[in-house]
Amino acid sequence: MNLDGAPVLDHAVIAELRAATGDDDAFMAELVETYVTEGAANMDRLLAAAAAQDCEAIVRPAHSLKSTSASLGAMRLSAICRGIEEAGRQARSETLREDAELARDAWEATLAAFAQAGLRE
Amino acid sequence: MSPGQAVALVVDDSAVNRKVLTRQLASLDIEAREAANGREALELVGTDGAGVDIVLLDIEMPELDGYETLAAIKGDEALRHLPVIMISAVEELDSVVRCIEMGATDYLPKPFNPAILEARVRASLAGKRLHDLEVESAARQAELLRTIERQKDELSRFLSPQVAALVSTTEGEALLAGHRRIATAVFCDLRDFTPFSEAADPEEVFGVLREYHGMMGELIVAHGGTLEHFAGDGMMVFFNDPVLQDDHVERAVRMALAMRDRFGALAAGWAKRGYRLGFGVGIATGYATLGRIGFEGRHDYGMIGTAVITASRLSSAAAPGQILLAPRSHTEVDGLFEVEELGELQLKGFSRPISPVNVVGVRARDTVAAG
Repeated sequence: MNLDGAPVLDHAVIAELRAATGDDDAFMAELVETYVTEGAANMDRLLAAAAAQDCEAIVRPAHSLKSTSASLGAMRLSAICRGIEEAGRQARSETLREDAELARDAWEATLAAFAQAGLRE
Repeated sequence: MSPGQAVALVVDDSAVNRKVLTRQLASLDIEAREAANGREALELVGTDGAGVDIVLLDIEMPELDGYETLAAIKGDEALRHLPVIMISAVEELDSVVRCIEMGATDYLPKPFNPAILEARVRASLAGKRLHDLEVESAARQAELLRTIERQKDELSRFLSPQVAALVSTTEGEALLAGHRRIATAVFCDLRDFTPFSEAADPEEVFGVLREYHGMMGELIVAHGGTLEHFAGDGMMVFFNDPVLQDDHVERAVRMALAMRDRFGALAAGWAKRGYRLGFGVGIATGYATLGRIGFEGRHDYGMIGTAVITASRLSSAAAPGQILLAPRSHTEVDGLFEVEELGELQLKGFSRPISPVNVVGVRARDTVAAG
């Protein structure tokens, strides 16, 4: 999977989102919290589907993570999940486990980056 | 659309996306309601839209996805006017094309850009507003038409059908304002009605008048006459206005003949009850002024002219059973009817005598050919 140029956290996206939603720290923190809650559930589903090599079941959590991660600047995770979603849609199960591991690493890195950026406690 | 704040329904399974959109819509002064999937969205709009002005719809969703939701909205007569903007990632443009073909108004790329969101939402809301105005205006128009029909119906009980029909047309206003044209006036009344009404019970008098008016009214309508007024036993009808009739004199005479025949049957019934009443008619043709006559609150559609006075005087001069036709009217229908010359008659208020004829009946076809 080619992840060149996909930063764990794209600060420009965060800045844009902040500006587009009224430069409100509390709102940004709330949004990130929502993302983490929603994302954690999707990560669980994604990992379970990968463990079961279930191409059909992996599409939806991968799609959601791809989409919301992109919204919050988690570009690396978004890119990985886009690959997983595609693989799932094309019923290519051979790389699912490997890619899910990549996704989990990116997820952890994203959470750390949010904390580092002061968007999470 | 409600005159106040516009309402958007945000349908997305991602709470993050819903939060961002809701926040951005709020800054555009648009109230957002949220649904996590298509099923929730359809429940929320219900059968009448529930005040929602625009739907922002994600494609990939659990339970009921964007396609199914869009199909449900566009397949519902009461909801299909709702603008639907698809929420889509750039790489999903193929899906967007499919949604536009299914009736979606536009699409919104993810991640959301406030300028694009504002432009697309405002454009769709403007379209919705226009649609709502059209619907509203059509409803008002339909109501207005119903009112006009109701009024026409109401009026037709008081006015002749021709005049009632005039009221709601554009040329009607001009005709009502007054105009001059050739017209034929018919006056008729009952002979010996005054002594009868003095002698008989009021109920009896009204009973006789009801029968008489009912029969006359039917014949007036059947011959296309315009009833100007009933006055006790008398009535005035005119022809060639407001509807033009090439054969207005002939119609007038045929109506008078039909009235006389029908009156015969009525009078026979009355005679059995002891009332001896006769029927006389006067007909005259000439230029007259026609239009709205009267005062605020009480107008008649009337005819004014020498022909009206002539017809009235001829009616007074007619013996029971006579239909007196003024010379000018007679010229117009010469040969169509059997007439009886009466010589000169001096009518009240006229300086010179006139020579009316009494119409006996319709001339038989072969006689017309021979004559």
